[in-house]
Amino acid sequence: MAVAAGALVVVFPVLWMATMAFKPEAVMFARPPVWRFPPTLEHFDYVLAHGFLGNLVTSLVVAVVSTALVVVIGTPAAYAFARFPIRRRDDLLLFVLATRMAPPVALVIPFYLIYARVGLLDTYLGLILAYLTFNLSFYIWVLWSFCRELPVELEEAARADGYGRGQVLVRVVLPLLKPGIIATAVLCFIFAWNEFLFAFMLGGKAVETLPVAVPKLITSQGVKWGELAIVGLVALLPVLAVVFVLQRHIVRGLTMGAVKG
Amino acid sequence: MRARRRTPMLLGAALVVAMAMVAAPSARAWTYREAARPYAGQAITVLDEITPLQETMKTLVPEFVKETGIKVDYQLLNHFEVISRGQADMLSGRGAYDAVMLHSPQMGLLLQADVIRPIDDLLARKELTNPALDLDDLIQPAWDSLAKFRGKTYGLLNWNYNVIYWARGDLLSHQGEKAAFKQRYGYELGPARTLQQMRDLAEFFTRKKGETLAGQTLQSDFYGVVLEGIKGGTTFWTVWTAFIRNFGGDILDAEGRPTIDRPENVAAVKLWADLWKFSPPGQAEYSLIDVPTVMGSGIAAQTLAWSDFVLGIDRPGKSKFAGKFVYAGSPANARAPQTRSAETEPSMIVISRHSKRPEATYLFLQWMVDKATQQRLFQAAGGAGVPIRQSTWNLPVVKQSPFAGLYAAMQESLRYGRAKPRAPKIFEIMDVMSGLVQEIALGRKTAEQGLKEGQEKVLAICKQCTL
Amino acid sequence: MLFPYALIAPALLALVAVALVPFLYTVWLSAHEMQYARVGDFAGLANYRALLGSARFWHSVWISTLFIALAVPLEFALGLLGALVLHRGVRLRAILVPVLFVPSMMAPIVVAILWKIMLAGSWGLLSYNVLERFGLLEGTSVLASPDLALYALVAIDVWQWTPFVMLALFAGLQSLPATPYRAAAVDGATAWQTFRRLTVPLMTPLMAVVVLLRLIDAFKVFDTIFLLTGGGPGSSTESVSLFAYKTVFDFWDLGTATACAVVIWVMFFVFSNVFYQAARRLLGAF
Repeated sequence: MAVAAGALVVVFPVLWMATMAFKPEAVMFARPPVWRFPPTLEHFDYVLAHGFLGNLVTSLVVAVVSTALVVVIGTPAAYAFARFPIRRRDDLLLFVLATRMAPPVALVIPFYLIYARVGLLDTYLGLILAYLTFNLSFYIWVLWSFCRELPVELEEAARADGYGRGQVLVRVVLPLLKPGIIATAVLCFIFAWNEFLFAFMLGGKAVETLPVAVPKLITSQGVKWGELAIVGLVALLPVLAVVFVLQRHIVRGLTMGAVKG
Repeated sequence: MRARRRTPMLLGAALVVAMAMVAAPSARAWTYREAARPYAGQAITVLDEITPLQETMKTLVPEFVKETGIKVDYQLLNHFEVISRGQADMLSGRGAYDAVMLHSPQMGLLLQADVIRPIDDLLARKELTNPALDLDDLIQPAWDSLAKFRGKTYGLLNWNYNVIYWARGDLLSHQGEKAAFKQRYGYELGPARTLQQMRDLAEFFTRKKGETLAGQTLQSDFYGVVLEGIKGGTTFWTVWTAFIRNFGGDILDAEGRPTIDRPENVAAVKLWADLWKFSPPGQAEYSLIDVPTVMGSGIAAQTLAWSDFVLGIDRPGKSKFAGKFVYAGSPANARAPQTRSAETEPSMIVISRHSKRPEATYLFLQWMVDKATQQRLFQAAGGAGVPIRQSTWNLPVVKQSPFAGLYAAMQESLRYGRAKPRAPKIFEIMDVMSGLVQEIALGRKTAEQGLKEGQEKVLAICKQCTL
Repeated sequence: MLFPYALIAPALLALVAVALVPFLYTVWLSAHEMQYARVGDFAGLANYRALLGSARFWHSVWISTLFIALAVPLEFALGLLGALVLHRGVRLRAILVPVLFVPSMMAPIVVAILWKIMLAGSWGLLSYNVLERFGLLEGTSVLASPDLALYALVAIDVWQWTPFVMLALFAGLQSLPATPYRAAAVDGATAWQTFRRLTVPLMTPLMAVVVLLRLIDAFKVFDTIFLLTGGGPGSSTESVSLFAYKTVFDFWDLGTATACAVVIWVMFFVFSNVFYQAARRLLGAF
């Protein structure tokens, strides 16, 4: 019961927001609030007519590309940290971890000033690079905990069969690591998808992600609550999908691999 | 009436003749096309604020592009973003924008950082400047107090935001309410002309659910007044110029030293905070956007609001009460009418130091304030806008506009509105003060305590605050 | 033996570029007189002195501390309770568990929209039905009240993160060894005794790590505060992150702001180190 009640507390605001997406303006602020009303699609028309699809695409591009980059750069590093004796390994790992822990607000200040000088503000490249700060370190750190669970025997057997070390990585390790890579990468995607501050300060008209576009719904004719609810729901969709597919890995990810989940 | 209307027409005819005579000696008349010839094909980026005014301007921009061949990326952002991003762009030296819209309080900081390009040299270049630009026509004291500093001119007057008094005319003219009001307060019910009357009206119209208002039983609580109350925003600007200055007070003295806790200021803030007793719950969250929305929704009797936002609400389909609103200039102080002041925010688009295309940009900015463009702007918006030129008041489209009453109110407010002093740390001061007056309004501090604390805090920010 | 270094090189180079360089740049800026974005003369520690002498900064430290001190213990207590209940077996657990993941994965902008809708003055669902009806709200809305706004933000943080604490501890409970519990049952230990003597000691390392993580995240919180109150009303919700943001992007006092960023940064480096050591010693993780 207690847990069910807890779940209701979690779900209820989301459901209420969902109803607002279909609520006619006239009953939006009714006191007392109304639950039953003739649903309307007018808010969807507004959202579609005001370029939010473009913001959605921008969000997808930034999140997908930055995640792909993280996987490409991060996977070999995580594997190397787990498998090979590397000098000052602990210090390096601590550096990786600290990068992840740093508050975005402290990072966005130098980023803005540097980007302003080199012309990376309001560019895809700029935002994608900035997302490496939290996602690359996160990815390496969590995938490293997956890598250490890989049985070393298989790799040794492959080596004995005459595979080079690169081949072992590609042919043996990657297939075994696939679930871990997917789980971690999906979390990276979500972090990039949700990110607000970097996108807000480093983006602009050319690169405007969905979270940053939300203030456009606070218009000179008032706040568009129905439209706000729609954008909120759309921003929530990938999160919901991921949660149901990946639930166990989330704990592991959110505790930086400290809890195996 | 007839004779009066003829005067501007005659004047206009005389002007045309005079201009034709002046222009006659030159080979052909000045045109934007000619002036822009060396710059055609250049692309400029201009950052402006998003309000109904600029949304209309945006529809006209293609005409300029077509005529001159200068490509204009006319970007609109909301009030806070236009300040933070515009400033960040200029201060960081990024230079993505050739020109950025500035509210007058930003001038101190940007002048001190030396990132605005003065336009005196451009104004003096005959081939670039429309001989009929008629700068004397720009509304004063708005333009001079905004754009001219130490012998230099930093821009033209592009927008002329102003706060007006806004009330529900249907309530003010209701016979029953009028009689009851007169009996209680001893004078005729009507739009408040003074801040004290505004308080009376606020008290009078605050009613609980179930009570009667203009003959109708109320389904929910009704409030006598609604004000902007959010921290930040323009809350304290309005307290400062529509209340404090009307009491003869000010937050900085002539030398720019903080004078937050002057007795005049205390009296003014007390009156303002008193109005909160008659305001909707949650007012401390209301921004300058929420206030017109609340007025439009019909739960409050009166307000002080930015007139450009009114234009978006007082329209059929936008509010049930469209057409029933009445307007007046920002109220005076009954006890000191000679120190009359109103909250206005003259704004201009300035050319960034970092712009590589100042001439093309200048042509565009000039075109924006051009008489012809201004006239087109008011036509395109159905007679709705905020004039930046004296001559605009006399345009037929303005005189016959459904907003004629609103225009009279704007004209009155603008007569008493000046740009803010050039204090580089003014946003920090506003931030501190808006928080404090909010606490005063919510009853957490007395006006004396709050302003005394404000004086200490502002002194910690700057001892001599203006340039 | 260059192979491993070749594998880590791209990642390390990338992290140096996006983390170390910005950090060093900030340190360098903070040691100079800053006239807006123009770098002036070397100023030594003057900016740090200005920061530490700023009442506003210390007020923001106090707000951050208060926020953490209220949110984290609540999240932990409720989370532990929920985890124990979940562990004892609940019907529909397969559906409940994923639902509980949702808040911690939610975008801050969505959290902000949700709670703005719930708490908006006069028509917000919670404002109208609960707070106003029981007279908890007088003439203001929660987020607009200098007395209540911080508690509202704490409540939102608790709403968002308790499920995460619950699920992390639940995962820990699920992986506890069964043998000692069987022995305790044979000895006739009560549920409370089992909890005190077995569960608590076995779970302590994990609890420590989870709490540490929450402390770090709660200290970082920026987005929801920025979007919901912007630090107000007054300065009643101006956390350190918000102070740093405003100092740069509203006031352009880059000297103080970069000094503040460096202070935050160093603090977090210490935090991460503690987390690393704790997780390692206590959990045997890493």
